[in-house]
Amino acid sequence: MAAEITTGRGVYRLLAVGPLEYTEADVLLTLAMERADGIERMLAKCRITRSLLQRLDPTEVIVEQLKGWIGGEFETIREASLKSIRSERRLHEIVFDQANRGPF
Amino acid sequence: MSLQLIPPDVNVDFVGKRYFFVALSTLINIAAIVLLVTVGLNYGVDFAGGSVVQIRFAKPTSGDEIRKALSALQLGEITVQDFGAKNQNQFLVRFEKVRNIGSLGTRIEGALNEVYGSSNQAHVLRVETVGAKVGHDLRVDGFLAVAVATVFMGLYIAWQFARVSWSFGAGAVIALIHDVLLVSGALVLSRFEFDLTTLAALLTVIGYSVHDTIIVSDRIREDAAKRRRESLESIMNRAINETLSRTILTSGTALTVLAALLALGGPILRPAAFTLFIGIITGTYSSIYIAAPVVLFWERGHRIKGAAARAA
Repeated sequence: MAAEITTGRGVYRLLAVGPLEYTEADVLLTLAMERADGIERMLAKCRITRSLLQRLDPTEVIVEQLKGWIGGEFETIREASLKSIRSERRLHEIVFDQANRGPF
Repeated sequence: MSLQLIPPDVNVDFVGKRYFFVALSTLINIAAIVLLVTVGLNYGVDFAGGSVVQIRFAKPTSGDEIRKALSALQLGEITVQDFGAKNQNQFLVRFEKVRNIGSLGTRIEGALNEVYGSSNQAHVLRVETVGAKVGHDLRVDGFLAVAVATVFMGLYIAWQFARVSWSFGAGAVIALIHDVLLVSGALVLSRFEFDLTTLAALLTVIGYSVHDTIIVSDRIREDAAKRRRESLESIMNRAINETLSRTILTSGTALTVLAALLALGGPILRPAAFTLFIGIITGTYSSIYIAAPVVLFWERGHRIKGAAARAA
């Protein structure tokens, strides 16, 4: 199920794309931000340090946690994600660690 | 010893060749107008309206296969373009008019993954849509921006040089129109996409060209005040030759950076880099071969009229 955020640009759905990926230190979540009417969509990658998460947090719980934070930073995240995909042809990475805990 | 690219006593007869270059520029400008009217610019989504979808595949595939896979969605006419480096397997899919726009990204992803299966999964990285009305409004605003910038720059130069002659303003406006037409013609021929970034580059070209024209015109004004007995042709040649070193160095360094941007900037920046590259060449050329001759033709016309009036 998708989480929804209301932004200055309308309602956006947050969806996890594929399962979580695990590295030694981090958990990687590919997140799609899609406007409710479908006219815009962009993907971004969230890299979350493992120590910030509960051991068995399912994807939905992480997306739900991210919802409020992304809503607050939406313009910056949207712009960075689109620019990264357009110009560098790779996903913008949002890093959550001890220095930048975000919603965790 | 310092390196001198242009010797200080250089004396090229630029003004003497004005008829040839004015005729050449006129022909090129007519060709550019014909191209703009008959072929037209390759408008991007910003101006044409529609949707652009960037897709990444796990393994290589082709545009035809993508088109086939998406045919089930009945999205109307689509174009598929290979995007970026080969090993990235990324494609841009454009739709001019999208019906049933809702969840476009999800539906495209679903349709592709149904055909390709899990062995070559597709991810829709971005979807951007501009409505036809917004696209049309942006196009009108864009052309207005170019026209207003051209006219006001000409008026500003005319005002700045009003004490000497209004002809400098006329020369600047004609040079700017020449540059805009020539760059637009090059964009039509190259089929590079004309989007908001390209428009910004075109406006930058206008700024650069007028800057170059001011440098040459200002030197003409200075030399005209110092050498009242010299002919206008000779003063113009002297002024252009005196500023030649600066002109070549400024344009040369800018062109070097733009050549790097053209080669390495990637597909998104390439149209803007191309616009600036051509624009800087034409901006430099027009300051010498368009703006200065217009001043000369104007002044000669006035002198002939004045002499005729005195004779009568």
